Amino acid sequence: MDTSSPSAFVNGALLRRYIGQKVRTVIQVIGSDTGSVVGKSTDDLQIVVRGSSPPNPLTTYLEVIGIAESDNSIRAETWTNFGNSFDPQNFNELCKLANGEFKHMFI
Amino acid sequence: MEVSLTAGAIGKIMSGEVTKEIDMMPVLQVTEVRQIKSQQEPVRERFRMLVSDGTQLHQGMLGADLNHLVKSGTLQAGSIVRLTKFLCNVIKDRRIVIIMQVDVITTKADIIGHPVLGGKTNDQRVADSSNKSNATGFEQQGRSEPIASCQINNTETGRSNAAISPEVGHRQGFGAGSSVPTSTPSTWAYNNTETGRSNATISSEVGQRQGFSAGSSVPASAPSTRAYNTPETGRSNAAFSPEVGQRQGFGAGSSVPASVPSTRAYNNPSAGQGVPRQDHARDPPTSYPPRQPAYQPQIPPPMYANRGPMARNEAPPRIIPINALSPYSGRWTIKARVTNKAGLRQYSNPRGEGKVFSFDLLDADGGEIRVTCFNAVADQFFDQIVVGNVYLISRGSLRPAQKNFNHLPNDYEIMLDNASTIKQCYEEDAVIPRHQFHFRIIGDIESMENNSIIDVIGIVSSISATVVIMRKNGTETQKRSLQLKDMSGRSVEVTMWGDFCNAEGQRLQNLCDSGGFPVLAVKAGRISEFNGKAVSTIGSSQLFIDPDFVEAQKLKDWFEREGKSVPCISISREFTGSGRVDVRKTISQIKDEKLGTSEKPDWITVSATIIYTKFDNFCYTACPIMNGDRPCSKKVTSNGDGTWTCEKCDKSVDECDYRYILQLQIQDHTDLTWVTAFQEAGEDIMGMSAKELYHVKYVSEEEEKFESIIRNVAFTKYIFKLKVKEETFSDEQRVKATVVKVDKVNYSSDTRTILDAMDKLRNIDATSLPIKPEGSNYSAEAVNTSIRSSGTRDPSSVDRRDFGLHAHQSGQYGNQYSSGSGAHGGGATSCNVCGNSGHVSANCPSANEPQGQYMGNSYRGTSGSYGGGGPPRQHVGSY
Repeated sequence: MDTSSPSAFVNGALLRRYIGQKVRTVIQVIGSDTGSVVGKSTDDLQIVVRGSSPPNPLTTYLEVIGIAESDNSIRAETWTNFGNSFDPQNFNELCKLANGEFKHMFI
Repeated sequence: MEVSLTAGAIGKIMSGEVTKEIDMMPVLQVTEVRQIKSQQEPVRERFRMLVSDGTQLHQGMLGADLNHLVKSGTLQAGSIVRLTKFLCNVIKDRRIVIIMQVDVITTKADIIGHPVLGGKTNDQRVADSSNKSNATGFEQQGRSEPIASCQINNTETGRSNAAISPEVGHRQGFGAGSSVPTSTPSTWAYNNTETGRSNATISSEVGQRQGFSAGSSVPASAPSTRAYNTPETGRSNAAFSPEVGQRQGFGAGSSVPASVPSTRAYNNPSAGQGVPRQDHARDPPTSYPPRQPAYQPQIPPPMYANRGPMARNEAPPRIIPINALSPYSGRWTIKARVTNKAGLRQYSNPRGEGKVFSFDLLDADGGEIRVTCFNAVADQFFDQIVVGNVYLISRGSLRPAQKNFNHLPNDYEIMLDNASTIKQCYEEDAVIPRHQFHFRIIGDIESMENNSIIDVIGIVSSISATVVIMRKNGTETQKRSLQLKDMSGRSVEVTMWGDFCNAEGQRLQNLCDSGGFPVLAVKAGRISEFNGKAVSTIGSSQLFIDPDFVEAQKLKDWFEREGKSVPCISISREFTGSGRVDVRKTISQIKDEKLGTSEKPDWITVSATIIYTKFDNFCYTACPIMNGDRPCSKKVTSNGDGTWTCEKCDKSVDECDYRYILQLQIQDHTDLTWVTAFQEAGEDIMGMSAKELYHVKYVSEEEEKFESIIRNVAFTKYIFKLKVKEETFSDEQRVKATVVKVDKVNYSSDTRTILDAMDKLRNIDATSLPIKPEGSNYSAEAVNTSIRSSGTRDPSSVDRRDFGLHAHQSGQYGNQYSSGSGAHGGGATSCNVCGNSGHVSANCPSANEPQGQYMGNSYRGTSGSYGGGGPPRQHVGSY
C-alpha cells in the first residue's frame, strides 16, 4: 500500500483546513457535468469536485481523493463509487474524530 | 369614707335602661379584677372586672386606657368607683359594659353586700338539663331571672355566646350546653371578641375540640361556660389551638367539677392556652368576662349553653393516628404527609363514567393510608394536594382497602366527599417522615411469594438499555432491567416498565455509564417468578435514586468497603432464550470476566474475524433419525458394511447425516479464541452443507477446490453469538465457546454502537478509576504478540461492564475492567502503558504499539490467572 501521500479525512467543514493538501471525502452525488460533480458532503455542505475521469455511471455515494482547491472544491485524482447505501453520519463522525480527538492516529 | 353604691344600677344596666354615662353615672364597687392576657398578636392586657351595686354583679371590661389604674393598684378588688364614661351595649343579646373612664373613689374597701351575678345569657342556656350546678349560687339566680342573663356581649364582636365561627373550626365543643344543668347564667359565652365564639361554638372542621363536653362530665359546671375569650385570642379557658392538637382537655369540662365548662369558645388558633382558667371556674360568679372581642366574623352559633356534657365522640386530642382509623371512628382528623399522588384518571364502568384520583398519606406514627376522591371531589382536591406537604384531613369515610390496588399496610382506605376538608399545615412537621419504607433484604426475596409487594434498596451493579416489548393486548411497552445488589450478597433483577424506563432508567444508565454505582430504592415493587425471582415495577411503584436514607448510606459504605468485590449470587437466573439482549463483548472479556465459569452458561456476542479453521475433522457422521422435530444427531458408528448404528436410538441406518463440527479460531482487536461451530453456524460460515463439503474433500477429493473454499473462509468477519461455558475435561476446567449464530456485520449499526460507546467512555470520570501501572508492562508485551497477526483493526470500543445484562459476576469484573479502560478514555489522560499522566498510551513514548491503549486494558485484569486457557492463550501463560 502506497503511503507516500496520505490524505486526510474531511467533511465539508474540515475541507478548508487542508487547502492545497491531499484530502479524501465521501459525498452524496447531487449532479454531474462533464468534468465536475456536485455533491453534498456528509455535513450537508456543498462540494464541487473537478477532475478528469469520474466513473460512469455514478452511484449515490462517491469517494474522492484529491487536492483541496478551496473550501468547497476538490481536484480529484481518484474517484470510487461507494454504492447507494452508505451511512453519512458515521463517516461524519469519523471525520470529526480523525481531525480532532484522534488526530494522532491518522496522518 | 363611706360611700354608698348606686343601688339597682346593675339592674338598670342589665335591663337596658342605663347604657351610657349620660343616663347615669353609677357608683359601683369592683369586686374582682382579672387580667386577661391575649396570647396572640398583639399582646395586650385587658382587665375585666366584676362590678357590683351591692346586690348584683355584672361583668365589665376595663378600657385599656385604664389599665394603669389596676397596675398601680389604684383599682383593685374592693375599690369603689364611679363610672364616668362607660358604654353598655347589647351585642347579640348580651350586655357588655365597657368602662372607659372611672373615678376611683375608694381604693380599698370591703365588699358591700352580697352581690351575686345575675342574669343568664338568654339563649345560651341550652335547655338546662338538670345539671347540677355547681353551687355557684347562681343557679338560683340564674335561670329565672331575666336579669340574669348575663350576656355580656362584647361590643366589638357582638358575637354572642353562641357565636361560632366555623371557620376556624376549633371550637369548643360547646355543647356544653347540652348537659350543663347548672348552666347558670354562665353560659357565658364569652366569646372573645375576636372569636366570638360562644358556648356552643363548635367547630366541626378541625374537630379538635375540646372535649367540650366539658359539659359532659362536669356536673358542677359552674356555669362557667365562660367563654372567656380574651379579646384577642378569644381564648378562654379552653383555648386551643387545634393544630397542635393539644388541647387541653379542656374539657375542663371533662372532669373538672369545678368546671368551668368553659365552653368557651375558644378559638384561638394560637391560643392553646394552657391553663384553662380554671380558677375562674372556681368562682363562678365572678368571672365571666363576657367580652367578645371581635375576632371572627359572626356566625350565628348554634346556641347551646355550654353547660353540661356534650356528646363528644372523640377524646382529645383531635388528631388521631392513621392506624387508629376505622369506619366507626366518627368524626376524625388526621395530620399526615402526602407520599404519593396518582394522576387524575378517567374511567367508565357500567354505572357510568367518572374520574378518580388518589393519594397516599403517612403520619407521624408511621401509619399509612390511601385517600381516594371521585368526580367533583377529585376536581376539588386534585390541585390542592402536593406530594410532600402535610395536610389535615377530616370528615372522610372509611371503607375496606382494595388490596389489589392498594398495597399500603392498612386495612382501610379513605374516601372523601363534599363534606370533607383538607387543610394544609404550614408549620414545622419534621415529625412526619417523608416516606416510609419497609425494606427487604434481597436474600429474603427468594423465599417470598410471587406477586407480593415489597420495598427494596440496593446498589445498581448494572443496567441495560430499554427494549420495546409487545404486550399480550397488542400494545407496546418499554422495559428496562437492572441488577440490584445488597449486603446479603445476593443480587436481583429489577425490571422497570413504561415511564420508569425513560425517566429513572435513563438517569440510572447515565450514572452507571459514568462509572458510578448508584443506590436505588424501590417502593412497592412486585416479586415475580421469571427465571428465578425478579422484582418489577407496578403502576404505583416509586423509584428513588441515591436517596437520603440511612439505609442508602449504609449500603454505600458497605459497597465501598467490600461490596465491589464480593461475588453476588443472582437470584434472577440468566435468561435463556427469547428476551436475551445482545451482550456485546470483546474476546478478551471472556477471560477477564471469567465468563462461563458460573453454573449457567453465558451468552455473548462478539464481532470477530475467523483466522484459522481446523479442517481435519470438520464434520462427523450423525444419526438422521428424527427425534420429534429434530434429528437425533448423535454420532453414529460405522458398522463396517456401510451402515451406521446410533447408540441413542439403538438403530441402524444406511445413510448417515454429516454435521459440521468446525473448530475455528476467531480474533478481534483484543484477543483470540477457539470456538466450535456446529451444523447451522457451520453452514453459514462455509456457505455449503457439511455433506457437500465432505464430498468435495473425501469423495471427489478435489483438493484445490477444497482449499479455495477454506481460504475464502479465512479472514471473514462476522458477528458471532457465543455460548460460553466452563467444562471439565478429565480434571481440567476449560472454558469452551460454541457458536450459536453467525451474522454478517452491519457496519453502519456497528459503527454507531461503537460511537456511542466512545461517548460513554469519554464521560467517565477519570479520577475515580484507579490506574495499575504494574500491569502495563504486560500489556505492552502481550499486545505485541497478539496484534501482529491481527488483520483487522476495530476502532477502540470500550466495552465496559455493562452492555446489557450479563452474568452477575461480570459486574464486579467489569468494574475492574472499566477501571482500566476508563483511565484513558476520552477525557482522562493517564497513560495506560507507563502510568504517567498527560498522555494516553497511544502517545506514550514508551509504548511500541499505538494500539496498546486498549489492549493494555484487557490484560490488566487477568493478572496471570489464566494459565491454561487453551491453544491461543499460550502467550498469556507467560505470566
